[in-house]
Amino acid sequence: MASYKFMFLIPNKMYISDALRSTLGVAVENHYGFGAVLYQKLPPVTEYMKENLEWTKDMEGDVFCVVDTMDEEAKKYNVDEVGLTPITLEELGKQILEADYVVAYGLPYQSRELPSMCADSRTVDTAKTE
Amino acid sequence: MKLLYLYRFKPTEATEKTKKLVDLVSKDNEVKEYRLYEDNPDYDKVVDMIWEADKVISWW
Amino acid sequence: MSEEEKDMNKLGIFVTNPHQDTWRHLKGIVKAVQKAGKTARVFFTFKSVHLVQQSDFLEFVKMIPEEDFAICHDSYTCEGFDGIPTGLAEKQMRSQAYHGDIVDVCGKYISL
Repeated sequence: MASYKFMFLIPNKMYISDALRSTLGVAVENHYGFGAVLYQKLPPVTEYMKENLEWTKDMEGDVFCVVDTMDEEAKKYNVDEVGLTPITLEELGKQILEADYVVAYGLPYQSRELPSMCADSRTVDTAKTE
Repeated sequence: MKLLYLYRFKPTEATEKTKKLVDLVSKDNEVKEYRLYEDNPDYDKVVDMIWEADKVISWW
Repeated sequence: MSEEEKDMNKLGIFVTNPHQDTWRHLKGIVKAVQKAGKTARVFFTFKSVHLVQQSDFLEFVKMIPEEDFAICHDSYTCEGFDGIPTGLAEKQMRSQAYHGDIVDVCGKYISL
């Protein structure tokens, strides 16, 4: 069976987690799954997302952070803390041409900052409240 | 490579952000474009263009 | 499936968002594909599952054979829904594997 290379392009923060699930989803079906996060810092990373990232890399895929489309804070978090692989826009362009299938995933980039109700991942420190 | 770009959404500041990437991908390739966001898209033509292209990218 | 076994007259469509324009383009493209004597295979993922609530969804789904349309079951559940959307059969509630199948079976592919 043929194995194809997928490139998922992800500009919208609310779609990052699920785009990475789809990236892994094609890898599990014997294809090569690659994702590229553009423009922003990832939302706080859950255990689920961490596992998806690791599994995607184990299956010869990868998730990129397009470093020349975001600020230093976003770059530092995405690369150093989350573990995305840094690439430039030019390198992404080459990856897109090499891919068999390109998925511009979800909605376009969202300029408004996410409000707390969908951005906040702080947990209540129960030790402090006892 | 014959590329077909489908533009799904009306141009906004958000969609303009992808222009640089689109230009990088287009270099040295034969590119056709269709603006789906314009009034009354000709979907018959879009389907013909899909079948003619080597790769289709549905940009935002 | 090898390249030779793909159906070159079949378009795979991976739908990734619930935007009103996405719905409009999906319907237009599928109708045009069928008018051209070809077929389409469609998969809704993540928030695009909300499109099953469109007023003309039933009319749309009747256009496509059961094996050529599915939605991501986990996405449907994670969006707060339960059961199976009206108009769909249980076997149309699928996993991301269905997306992998699309490129194995379909000679052409787009995402929306």
